[in-house]
Amino acid sequence: MNAVLMMLAMAMAMSLAVYSAEDKYEFSTPERAATFKELTHELRCPKCQNQNIADSDAIVAKDLRDKVVTLVHDGKSKQEVIDYMIDRYGYFVHYQPPVTPATIILWVLPILIVIIGFGFIVFRQKKASRKQNWSTDDEKKLAKLIAQYQRKEQQ
Amino acid sequence: MNKKFLAIIPFLIFMFLCVFLYQGLFGNPRELQTGRIGQTMPSFVLPDLMDEGKLWTNTDLLGDVYLLNVWGTWCPTCIAELGYLEQLREQGVRIIGLYYEQAYDPDFGDHFDIDALRTEVKTMLKRAGSPYQFNILDLERTLALDLGVSGAPETFLVDKEGKILLHHTGDINPRVWRAKFAPVIQELSQ
Amino acid sequence: MIPEIGYFSLVLAMALSLLLCIFPMWGAYTGNLRLMRAAPSLAVGQCLFVLVSFAILIYITLMDDFTVAYVAHHSSTSLPWYYKVTSTWGGHEGAILLWLVMQSSWTALVAMMSNSLPWVLRARVLGVLGFLGVGFMLYTLWMSSPFERLLPYYPVEGRDLNPLLQDPGMIIHPPLLYMGYVGLSVSFAFAIAALLTGKLDNTWAKWSRPWTMVAWGFLTLGITIGSWWAYSELGWGGWWFWDPVENASLMPWLVATALLHSLASTEKRGIFKSWTVLLAITAFSLCLLGTFIVRSGIIVSVHAFATDPDRGLFILSFLLVVVGGSLALYAMRVSEVKSEGRYKLLSREVTLWANNIFLVVATLIVLLGTLLPMIHKELGLGSISIGVPFFNQMFAILIVPFALLLGIAPFLRWKQNKPSPLVKKVVGLAASSLLLTAVWLYGSYDTVSALTFVATALAVWITLGALLDIFEKVSVEKQLLHGFKRQSLSYWAMILGHVGIAFVIAGVTLTSAYSVERSVSVKPGDIALLNEYQYRFEGVKEIRGPNYSGHAGVVTVLKGEKKVTELYAEKRLYDVGMQFMTEAAIDDGFFRDLYLALGEQLSNGYWSLRIYHKPYVRWMWLGGLLISFAGFLVVADRRYRKRTHNKKMDGVTA
Repeated sequence: MNAVLMMLAMAMAMSLAVYSAEDKYEFSTPERAATFKELTHELRCPKCQNQNIADSDAIVAKDLRDKVVTLVHDGKSKQEVIDYMIDRYGYFVHYQPPVTPATIILWVLPILIVIIGFGFIVFRQKKASRKQNWSTDDEKKLAKLIAQYQRKEQQ
Repeated sequence: MNKKFLAIIPFLIFMFLCVFLYQGLFGNPRELQTGRIGQTMPSFVLPDLMDEGKLWTNTDLLGDVYLLNVWGTWCPTCIAELGYLEQLREQGVRIIGLYYEQAYDPDFGDHFDIDALRTEVKTMLKRAGSPYQFNILDLERTLALDLGVSGAPETFLVDKEGKILLHHTGDINPRVWRAKFAPVIQELSQ
Repeated sequence: MIPEIGYFSLVLAMALSLLLCIFPMWGAYTGNLRLMRAAPSLAVGQCLFVLVSFAILIYITLMDDFTVAYVAHHSSTSLPWYYKVTSTWGGHEGAILLWLVMQSSWTALVAMMSNSLPWVLRARVLGVLGFLGVGFMLYTLWMSSPFERLLPYYPVEGRDLNPLLQDPGMIIHPPLLYMGYVGLSVSFAFAIAALLTGKLDNTWAKWSRPWTMVAWGFLTLGITIGSWWAYSELGWGGWWFWDPVENASLMPWLVATALLHSLASTEKRGIFKSWTVLLAITAFSLCLLGTFIVRSGIIVSVHAFATDPDRGLFILSFLLVVVGGSLALYAMRVSEVKSEGRYKLLSREVTLWANNIFLVVATLIVLLGTLLPMIHKELGLGSISIGVPFFNQMFAILIVPFALLLGIAPFLRWKQNKPSPLVKKVVGLAASSLLLTAVWLYGSYDTVSALTFVATALAVWITLGALLDIFEKVSVEKQLLHGFKRQSLSYWAMILGHVGIAFVIAGVTLTSAYSVERSVSVKPGDIALLNEYQYRFEGVKEIRGPNYSGHAGVVTVLKGEKKVTELYAEKRLYDVGMQFMTEAAIDDGFFRDLYLALGEQLSNGYWSLRIYHKPYVRWMWLGGLLISFAGFLVVADRRYRKRTHNKKMDGVTA
């Protein structure tokens, strides 16, 4: 572990000293870089078939990417950038659907099915194990029946 | 009874789903509803396509209902709709062009040749139809982004107070005009 | 002339299929054995004619017969021969023909391998398969014939195969997927035949199980290869995007997985009877629904297939008849079924129920997420998108209880278990999983998020659970080898499948959490650093392929002073379509992939280059392979072969 870190530091120092590739998008903090990455993966290219703006080569995807860079540079939070885009391109532009009376089904229905399903399991199991109840009364009844049967056979 | 009812649920769900699937066949999945409808025109200061000395702002456009048509000479569908747009102009519709330049991208070190573009636009308008009162040049596509434009052609209908009433993606043809634009314009004129 | 023979051959196949669906069904209904006995030969016959038709399509593609529209649109003279062959399923019409080939081959296979079945059941199974065959053949002949001509004006050169599809992954991906879909139609046919016969006992489950397992194995393999193809071919290192087309294959997989488990319970314990039938119907219905979604163009997807409302209408009608019909039949027949079997709350039965609930909920999430945007818009509520963030979030929640259950699943016996030894085991397992995960993750990374830790721990938990169970079962015997041999192949299949899931979970989690990427602009000699690797850009060289030209960015990868590899990230321009394609360069490894994609040429000799470091990404596909292998393993199980022998006797007496 330490060796890796050491090597990494050395390599970094070396590459900085000699020559380094230029990043296409540079950010002041790693948090901002992470926000940018998340945003470009969650925002949808409005012109494309079904691609996010990180993977699309369409001109509008590039424009949106550049806008995201500017907004993130300005210190806007992830949600602020998303709102900015939704304001212009509608809910379509974000891959996370808004919670509205119509879309609430997306969350409610799965939860409901889980609840109903587990309710059903317990119900079924109760029913199934009830059959299994084998009281001493039953035992006596069975013994009687067997005795009857045996008597019949002997006759 | 109870069990019979449970057993028919899958069938009912499926039939319900089929209604939507059937409807879906006749819808256009690419048609979008964007965020700017019902809001006022975003503010901007952009030059005229033919004269960079002339600057247009959002307030210059107020006072009359107009169509804002996003187009570019690189886009064949835009050229195709110029003829019909010219007819609309002759019927008294005020049409303003928003020139959407696709090729310009400073990352590629492109040199933008405004004079070449102007000649191209002039010949194109002469050939295919000239519907525009004037054209706004949105070289860096900032107004386009503020309007939620994703490509060309797209057309906005804006009222006297600068409120955006319609946003249409794709070309304008007699069918789209009658179905989408004409009713709204009629309502405005009443 | 030859294409017309292909078309005509398909007409004959449809005629035979029609007979296959009418005669045996009628025979089974009236008890006429002679009519039922016609089924196997009809099934084999229709298969032969479909194969002839497909062979002809391959032949005319190899001969560059551009008078045929399909060949002109999907092939070209410069296309290498193997891609010419695969171009026969690169477009819509050919893909449906390939589906037909699979459908009729499976039908013939069922006909040949089912001689141990009672005739009433066998005839009905084949009859249902014949009906499905007729539907697809009618569609091909009427709506999407690949033999249509472009006469009298035909091109001298074809439009070439979409470059995205010119990849080995694409050669095998669609056939595997179709094998899975069509295989599920066999499970479907068994379920319908059982409903028609009115005997929903565990015998149909016994017969249906090996077929379902194989179908599921193919489906798993198809999805895995599809994901790998997207990763290596689309050029941005993605492996799953929750695109409608991907969802369309995932939904049948989820239901088929539920079906497998529920079939096991029905076969061994006589429980879940009606539920199993419903799952068998649903699994195949979702295959058809997926086809509808993909082929009708009602939903925007990255995979743009030619769309045509008439075609969509046909598939929808077919869907309505097949799915609507079978669900109606289900509603009529199933209420007569009674489940027997007694079990306690802490039993394998209950865990399998829970497994089924989670899988069904997962399917529901995918289905809702795929269809709701369309419905939302139809209701006039505007456009919304449902994608990666939503699905990831929902699945991240769902996987926790599912994986917890999966870890203890092997220990649980049927009927009931004593809680105290189980609790001991669970506590021991949980503690060692947490410990192992902590050592693993904190040993290799500086930051570990809670989510990553939990998900990785779950994967470890499943694996340890499986290992512990193997140990306990094997160590019963004195000799280790004996112990291993004593376990049935089904047991090993279960273990493999579960460990496969663990690999998928670990792969997905770790590659999502620790993948890093850089987008850089470089000129020759520049070095970019990412994690412990240095990437030295050596420059760009011209390349020339059989039907494309382009550039390859040469990059030397160094680790410290040591050279790891040299990679060629290509940007290709295909001659015919003039399409650009990014051909990523990948240095694959068990623990990490290095992934390079060449971007555009910038000014002053700079190129843009994207570098990805993706740890553990292969584990995901390795998991997929293990799972699909589990599906194939069950078929080799002696139990099934033996059983079919026994059934031969039953079949005669029945």
